Formats: sequence, C-alpha cells, structure tokens
Amino acid sequence: MKILAPLRCSDEVLPLSDAGAGEFYCGIAPPGWDEEFGSAAVHRRSSRSAGVPDLADLRRIVDRAGGRPVFATLNAPSYPSAAIPRLVEFGRALVEDEGVAALIVAELELVLAFAEAGLASRVHLSSLATCRNPGAAAFFRGLGIARVILPRHVTLAEIEATAIPGLEWEAFLMNDGCTFEEGTCSTTHAFTPYCIDDRVGETQNRLDERYAFWRWTLDNCGSQTSRGFTLGPCGLCALPRLAAIGIASLKVVGREAPLARKVASVRLAAHALEVAGGGGSREAIRDAVVALRGAPQLCEGAHLCYYPDVWADRLPAQRARPSAGGFRRIPIADRS
Amino acid sequence: MEYGLRLTDPAVVPPDPREAFPPQWRGMLPDGRAVALYFGTEFCEDRLPDADAALRCCELAREHDLEPTLATPLVSPQGLERIDRLLAAIVEGGHHPAVVFNDWGVLELVRARQPTLPLRAGRLVNRSLRDPRGYRDAPSGAATHDGARYARVRSLLRDLGVAALETDADLEGGFLGDGDGDARPLGRALHLPFTYAASGRGCPLKAALYPEGGGFAKAFADPCPAPCHGKPLPVHRPDTALPHWRAGNTLFYELPRDAAHSWLSRTDRIVVHEAPAP
Repeated sequence: MKILAPLRCSDEVLPLSDAGAGEFYCGIAPPGWDEEFGSAAVHRRSSRSAGVPDLADLRRIVDRAGGRPVFATLNAPSYPSAAIPRLVEFGRALVEDEGVAALIVAELELVLAFAEAGLASRVHLSSLATCRNPGAAAFFRGLGIARVILPRHVTLAEIEATAIPGLEWEAFLMNDGCTFEEGTCSTTHAFTPYCIDDRVGETQNRLDERYAFWRWTLDNCGSQTSRGFTLGPCGLCALPRLAAIGIASLKVVGREAPLARKVASVRLAAHALEVAGGGGSREAIRDAVVALRGAPQLCEGAHLCYYPDVWADRLPAQRARPSAGGFRRIPIADRS
Repeated sequence: MEYGLRLTDPAVVPPDPREAFPPQWRGMLPDGRAVALYFGTEFCEDRLPDADAALRCCELAREHDLEPTLATPLVSPQGLERIDRLLAAIVEGGHHPAVVFNDWGVLELVRARQPTLPLRAGRLVNRSLRDPRGYRDAPSGAATHDGARYARVRSLLRDLGVAALETDADLEGGFLGDGDGDARPLGRALHLPFTYAASGRGCPLKAALYPEGGGFAKAFADPCPAPCHGKPLPVHRPDTALPHWRAGNTLFYELPRDAAHSWLSRTDRIVVHEAPAP
C-alpha cells in the first residue's frame, strides 16, 4: 500500500517524499480555462488556493517525484459540454507529454469521453462517482478504467465486498471528512459549505448538539494538536484490514492545506503503516498514533474514524426497540 | 404531459395529478393524466419496502391502471442483494414494475436478473449543481439549456436499454437533452416540486436511535427502522429563502416555480412528490 499525498506545488514534493509519500495528486487547470469557462472549477478547488500554478511547475513535480506516480484531478461533478473536448485534449497531453500517471475523474460524461479517446486505462474514478457495491464496480470496470477511489462513507465490510478484481482500489485514510456523501451533495463550496449551516430541524435540541459534534470531527475538530498533527478523520487503525482487502493506495486529503499539515499527516500515516507492516494490531496502531499525535480521547470514542467498524465490538449499539409490534416513532423533541 | 405520482399514501390517488401539488403550483402545470405510481426510495436503502409492501403498491397501481415504478437508491453490497430479492418477489407476484435506478450496480443487476423490466435512470445519475443558494443570484432560475451536455451518457443509457431519464431541475441545464436525433429517444421526467440538495449516510434521525457517542459514521451499516417515516421536518436556513425540509438523510427544498417552468417544454413526464421523502 502506498500513501497518496496531496500537492499544490513542486516545493512540496521532496518534504512529502521524505515523510513517506509514495504517490501524489494535484489539480491543474488547462491554460486559458478561466477566460473560457469562468468560475467553473476544473478540479473542485480554486485554482489559486489549491491548484498547481502552471505546466512548468507540474513538470518540476513529476521530475522531483523521481518515479513516484503523479495523478491530476479533473474531478468536477459536471462540466459544460464545450469543456469536454478541451479536457480530453488537456488530459491526453498530461499523460502522454507531461508524465502524469493518471487522471482522477468524477463526471461520467468525461469518463466516457476519455474512453472514446482511448485513455480509459489512465483514468481513476473519483470518490464522487460513488462506487459502493460490486455491481457498480463491475460497471466501471467494463468502461476500462484503472482505479476506483472509494467514497468516504463506506464500511470495511462493504469495501471487502466491493473491491472486485480487475481494478486498483484507493481508500480515504486521513483528514477532511464530509457531512454528506460527496457524490450526492449537489451544492458547492463556492457559497461556503452547505453543511455548515445545517440543522436537524427548526427547533434546536440535544440531537443538534450531537450532529454538530460529528460535523466538528469531520472538519478536523477545527484545530491541530500542539505537536502539529491534524485532528481529522483517520483510518489508520484499519490499515491491516485495508491491506488484507488489497487496497493499493491510501489517500491523505487536503490539496489546499499548508505543507506542514500535509507533512505531519503523511508522517503519521507512514508511522502507522510501519506498525501495521510489522504485524501490529489495531490497538498497537492506535497506541502508536496517539503516542505521536496526542489527543487520546478522540480515539477512545472512535470519534475520528473513517472506518469505525474496525472497532465494531466496542461501538454503541442501537437502543433496544419496543417488542414485536414494530418500531415506536419517537417525537423529535424526545430524541435526546 | 404525463404524470408519475409519488404519494404520501399510495392508496389515495387523486383524480387530477396536479392535486398532489401545493395549491400555488397547480395553475402553472399542464393538463395530463397519471400513468405511473412511484414507490420505494431514491436516497436511503433502509427505506426500501419489504416484499409485502411492494406488492401492495403494485396492486394499487394495477387498480388505478398505473405502471408500478420502484425507485431505488445508491446501495451498499447488502442493499444490492436486497433489491435482487425484492425484484424477484415482485415479479413472482405477477407484476412488472419499472425500476428507477440511481446506482450503476442496480442497473447491472436489473439487466442481468430481470431483463424485461423497464429501466429509468434516476435523478442521482444527474450530478449537476442544484445548490438552493444559486437561485439568489438568478431570480428566474432559468438554467441555460445546452442539449449537448451528457450526450455520451444518454447514448450509453440507450445502448443499455434504459427507457427514460429522470432529474430535478438543476442550475446548469441540458441534462434531459433534445432527443439527440435518435429513433428511440429517451423519455424525460422532471421531479417536482421538491429538489434534493444533499444526501448522505450520516443521518441525524438514525443517530437519535443510539446513545450519546453512537450513530452517524459508527452506524452506517446498521439497519435503520426509518424513524423519518411520516412528516418531513421543516428546516430554517439563514442563507436561502427557499423552503427546506429534512427527510431522513436528505435535504430538500421547494424549487422556485419560475425555474420549473423553464424545464417543462423539455419534459414528457412530471413526477409529482406530494411531500419531500428520501
């Protein structure tokens, strides 16, 4: 398994390589994109805050990566029709001329266009495409793509059932959760994240506090530890299970994040991977992570887990339901 | 125009499908008769009906001379197996429902296991922007119609034997196409008046079934008894004036009527939702 690290510019390659990154991904817009397509983000992030500045810097990235694969994101959920041929042309240039190993694509129309152009084998299917079961995986495998990036909101058991042969599999490992399923959130962060203002209903109650706490953990608890580590969603204790499933790539999220956060996250992931590689149990990995990162309380409650079912035997169970007559509907006001 | 009915109580079929709309919508909608009765769920596999409930809906559809239409959501591997069993039971019960798929695995399943059932691509196949806050800058909400958008997807769907496309009105336009000059044009259905904004597995109502510290991501795979059945919860948001509701794991808003109007000329069927429901 390789650690897949986010990049914003070539200066980040060596520090992330030193920290343990085995692959990289970054966003880059085709030259002249803004003039032609305005504010339509080509890779789901602002080109200014998260994108590689230009092709010259992309070339430096590929050069400094020293053989480690570099992937480029063209992963907006949808594009104007005129953008499709432009992106196919740009994507072809990236993989054939610039040394990019593969393109991360979300929109099915663009996946099909790359397939038409004979480039399907250079496509990684974005988590936004929401491939969550073996039937969907077979569908995408039939299109000839190389890799599927699993959505954030899947369990380990679901990954086991979904990760069919004939595809590479990538799973989320660290940072930046989503309240909603990415692929079924039809809003845009350009207006600020829609989930920030979400409430359960009109009346605030205890359930809102619990919902807010969950969203806070997804948002990296709005903080980092005094040692510089992000307190965000984390799948490190699941590494042995992910290895057993055959996951090839472990995604560290946050193209736009400061380099220090990226390096700390990759370093923590590499440390956990080393423990896992030595046969370490979930407990041993957790202890190693906490020893390096701090903040044991958030692990004790499995609050940060991308894959909390790794602790399934310790998770709170659903409250007992009333007997045979079916489920009693609880008024919202009483659900605290 | 034809109508599909997604009713709160499928046993109460209105004589005019427009009666299932809020009153302020009825005047802008064209005449037409109901042709399909929708049941099932587009957003949450825990709300898939059991075989008995599904067969009852099919019987009701038959009584009213409507095509039973089973909506299905994105599904886990277990959900896929559940749909397989459900479809087998429905077919064994003598019914031949259309299936709305929102998951490519469900499409593959139906093609392999129940190839005679009509297939309809559900509204999650269209991943275009529906952000309700987008309407504040475009009061008319009239998306530019670019019929070339998604042409490859429509062609693929036709090749796979899909009969129709369904969608919400979105802010980008063009998803339903212009028939694409094909001898077998896809049917085009528009869901009104509630557009989905966001959906996911971290359902707060499901979380309420767990003690403190449980629910949300820790309960993704647990079956849920669907405490969201019944009335959706109104939600107030400070960033948009459009009415919002939480229906289980999904947030819906009422589409501006002007925005809906601009889509009607490109639509063959309106799927009427009597209430926002996942």
